[in-house]
Amino acid sequence: MVTLDGEDDIGGSGFGLDELAAYRDRGRTPAIPAIDDNAECQAVLDSLERLGDLSRELVERDAVSLPVDDSWLAGILNAIAFEVRAGHDIEFPVEPADTGGDSGADAVADAPTRLTITEGAIREIVRWAGDSVPDVLVGRVALLGDTTDPTAEITIEVTISAAFPAPLAERADAVRVAVAGALLAHTPLRVGRVDVTVGEIHLPSRGGSV
Amino acid sequence: MTALEDAPDAVLAQRAADGDELAFAVIVRRHAPYLRAFVIRLTGSSAEADDAVQDALITAWERLGELNEPERLRSWLTTITSRKATDRMRQRRPEAAIDDLDAPSPASGPEERAVAASGLDALSQVLAELPGDQREIWVLKEVGGLSYEEIAERTGDSLSTVRGRLARARSTVLERMEGWR
Repeated sequence: MVTLDGEDDIGGSGFGLDELAAYRDRGRTPAIPAIDDNAECQAVLDSLERLGDLSRELVERDAVSLPVDDSWLAGILNAIAFEVRAGHDIEFPVEPADTGGDSGADAVADAPTRLTITEGAIREIVRWAGDSVPDVLVGRVALLGDTTDPTAEITIEVTISAAFPAPLAERADAVRVAVAGALLAHTPLRVGRVDVTVGEIHLPSRGGSV
Repeated sequence: MTALEDAPDAVLAQRAADGDELAFAVIVRRHAPYLRAFVIRLTGSSAEADDAVQDALITAWERLGELNEPERLRSWLTTITSRKATDRMRQRRPEAAIDDLDAPSPASGPEERAVAASGLDALSQVLAELPGDQREIWVLKEVGGLSYEEIAERTGDSLSTVRGRLARARSTVLERMEGWR
């Protein structure tokens, strides 16, 4: 690879090993011709670069023999279950009570019910609806507008990842329809608009992003 | 429908930030092995790696909303993990030595390294032979991607100590890797 005789003056450039390392760390800018034009300095920089790459590769190789234990994963999932991301409750319209002279248990059973759904559950419904469109995975879901006001129109912003080479506009429309339909059927939200953004393209049946 | 297991990191991070625990479970399965391997290389021991990474992932769940570039999920997780690991290391040795603990452990010599099956095997041996302080800084810098300042903050050492230690590590690794072709 490289000899380190004369560590303080590599290749006669006037720069030492530590200075070359610092030069590499700051992305070789601003450029220093005395280093860039010096073959031995370049060899040292290449070695440093290679060692950095090898170090990361080494950890990746180590990782192959350390798969996740199910009970260890369960421990983590249990711990996070308390950190709830439900958001606040959104109330369904109250069902009018059918009072026809009922008493006792019947009166309780017919009393107006209060049903609420959390923002978190609404986001889950959006993900479920969007995921059902072929080649689509839903990412971020945002509910814009005053969700505490039952008369307010809410805008749903959905970011999706689409599998290449699916037709994007067509898939986005399909997501829009699926999400609007699901929210209408299962939630009390007044949906004004569903905006769909394709944030990512992914390769089908592989985890990589294009 | 694309399986969540195949989803890009960015999608998983966004879903988990919104509360999708299934997406988070996929993140854990995908990244925990790397994070544990990172802590083991960093600390030289596997005993605490599981706990440090578990702490890191629980913290990550709480702070996923802060991740502005979800595609940088692994490097963000590595940064959180490096903090948990170095916190534990600082607790383990409260009196941080100013000087290097220069105890060379010649587990293998140049001859062994020369016949190492690959550059990875050679580097693995070289790192294992480094004094703990130097190895720690090398791994934080080259794998963790931390700056000098971040390393100084995490280890509780001064900036000049960090620079000096890294300079020695770099010089040692370059020299010892030279024997391998």
